Amino acid sequence: MILYDYILSPSCYKVRLLASLLDVSLEIRPVDFHPGQEHKGKELLALNPAGSIPILVDGDMVLTESAAMLAYLAARHDTGWLAEPGAHATAQMQQWLAFSHRLTATLGGARLVEMLHAKGDLEALQAGGEAALRELESALFARRLLGQIFLVDDKITIADIACFPYVALAPDGSVSLDPYPSIRIWMRAIRAQPGFIEMPGIHRLHELAPDPLMQTEDVT
Amino acid sequence: MQADASAHWVPAAVSKDILDGTVIPAALPSGPIAVWRTATGKIHANGDRCPHRGMRLSHGFVRGESLSCIYHGWRFGKDGFCEHIPAHPNLVPPKSINCGPLPVSEQNGVVWVASVEPASAPKDFSGYDALRSLVFRATPEAIAASTQGLEIDGGLEVTLGDFPAVLLLTERTSHETFVIALISAGTNPPDRLEAAAALEALRRGAEATGLVEAQA
Amino acid sequence: MSGDAMRNAWYPVGLLSDLPSEGRASLLMGEEITVFGSTGGRPRVESGGRSLPVIERFGHLWTSLGSPERDLFTIPEADHAERKLVDVGVVRVKCSPLRAVENFLDIAHFPFVHTDILGHEDHPEVNNYKVEIRKDEDEVWATKVEFYQPQAAKSAGGGITTEYMYRVPAPTCSVLYKTCPPRPGEWDVICLFVQPLTEDLCDVWPWMALFDDDTSLTDLIHFQQLIFLQDRSILENQIPKRLPLDPAMETPTRADLTSVAYRRWLKRHNYTYGAQLVAE
Repeated sequence: MILYDYILSPSCYKVRLLASLLDVSLEIRPVDFHPGQEHKGKELLALNPAGSIPILVDGDMVLTESAAMLAYLAARHDTGWLAEPGAHATAQMQQWLAFSHRLTATLGGARLVEMLHAKGDLEALQAGGEAALRELESALFARRLLGQIFLVDDKITIADIACFPYVALAPDGSVSLDPYPSIRIWMRAIRAQPGFIEMPGIHRLHELAPDPLMQTEDVT
Repeated sequence: MQADASAHWVPAAVSKDILDGTVIPAALPSGPIAVWRTATGKIHANGDRCPHRGMRLSHGFVRGESLSCIYHGWRFGKDGFCEHIPAHPNLVPPKSINCGPLPVSEQNGVVWVASVEPASAPKDFSGYDALRSLVFRATPEAIAASTQGLEIDGGLEVTLGDFPAVLLLTERTSHETFVIALISAGTNPPDRLEAAAALEALRRGAEATGLVEAQA
Repeated sequence: MSGDAMRNAWYPVGLLSDLPSEGRASLLMGEEITVFGSTGGRPRVESGGRSLPVIERFGHLWTSLGSPERDLFTIPEADHAERKLVDVGVVRVKCSPLRAVENFLDIAHFPFVHTDILGHEDHPEVNNYKVEIRKDEDEVWATKVEFYQPQAAKSAGGGITTEYMYRVPAPTCSVLYKTCPPRPGEWDVICLFVQPLTEDLCDVWPWMALFDDDTSLTDLIHFQQLIFLQDRSILENQIPKRLPLDPAMETPTRADLTSVAYRRWLKRHNYTYGAQLVAE
């Protein structure tokens, strides 16, 4: 499996993150998205006329939607990351995967404008992003009332991975995460997963590493 | 002689929102603060600023009973003194380095913080605990007007659906208010969910009121 | 206006390889500028109806709002024919241009911000190094800086102790020279050129001149972008926004000698655009 990847792309990160959590290795083909605009160049347009990344290639199959890549990795390696069988869970999963695209468009759009000189209506993107975050906070608060953390089936699934990166990077587009305590708790639970990897702007949990001070204390 | 405005308790966060071993950002009228809970559950608050190079401590991490800054790993204890500077592991950090601990008290499921130790404990809203916190894009006046709530000492009495509630309002900026909703402590989860939905409806109403006023 | 002395310095405003001929709007110290690519002529910069002086160097277009007394600094090492010259690409950061430079001069953050790459908590100690303000060049220099790094560069095979030199040749530029794994005895050159848009907003243009025959240009770009974007999440969260030049406001240690010298040098020259002189 080859992932056409950009280190600063949260959509590419979704795929890298899930692969790491599944302990699956990907062959990475780095794309000079910025400043090189390689995704709009001849070679990559031939592979993906949409001119976007990530692109996942597995034999004859070429996937260009990150949600599909997450579903594919889970279906192949650990179906526990998909929804349980049944209409309700299936619908919930689709709801959140669709919702993740709103996050990409709004929070991701604001981030590109503020960080990488992209053109766009920043205020509209930020307002859309804030509206989406409020909805997510509301849903996660409801989960917490039931003693749950994740979005679907009370377990971590591709729905959480699909929504996580653009939410975590909202401050890149000047959308603050301070008003959303349930989102913070949910993000922490994702970052605490074994095999979690970082991307710039999304830190690992240093507190999970052994405390260097504890190691140097004398044993009496 | 004016009363010291900083010597009163501000409802800064909901206790349940701060897990053991974590730090969150919050705010007093005087500025941003970091509120954190040690691994054994003790609550603390400081100005949200590391004395080293001004990094927000709310971005840091908690190990054991200390808070570490994410920039250079400077580690602070409950009294705000710096315990350890990783770049100089054998140095005993001077007592002059302190991240400024603030008075903190937990009551009714709310974390109360002050700039200066107030004369008495936070008001006890007997029988109530915190439902959740929300930020309203509206002034406290707009919230009071649109909810037609009864102003009581320290809050706004409203009903959330069927449930009596108190809203604690803290003005953050000229157009934002931090709100903590308190409801009866015995309320079960399905009822809490209903109350939360009613709170969000309240917010929509208050924010629309604010918009109407702005356009007027 | 604070920072008048900085008006006469040179600032990066674009990548020579990416200047649109129809012009791109930008800001320099709060003033609107337009940067034009060459259409058979030279690239140019205009502001308020006048043409600003320009220099093409290090893959970037440089300009000034004032009248620079000196030429833009040089980096002789970068002229070596076998070096890969890498335009890393602009990143906008909501911070003071001076904070951006100061972070670049700092190594004590490596174990926490660039974990498993430029540092690790098992090796956090910053040993003494040498700092001076070189009189003739009027530049800040730090030398004999050493740090253990799990992955110092794309060309490094494993963990190594890296040697560094830091140089500040202009108020918002810094040049870092670090151990070059494939060519012991040579330095890899990594630069941060910072364009001050306002006192708390800047465009950062990183640039490198490296010895590395094995790593692709894209991988080199991504490595440096990764490092810089990790720093960005710190830079946008420092309080106050402006770099405090009053020593009472922040507490340095011996590891911070370069930044202390930088702040002193800024104050001496009245390079205060993006700085805060007294505690507010």
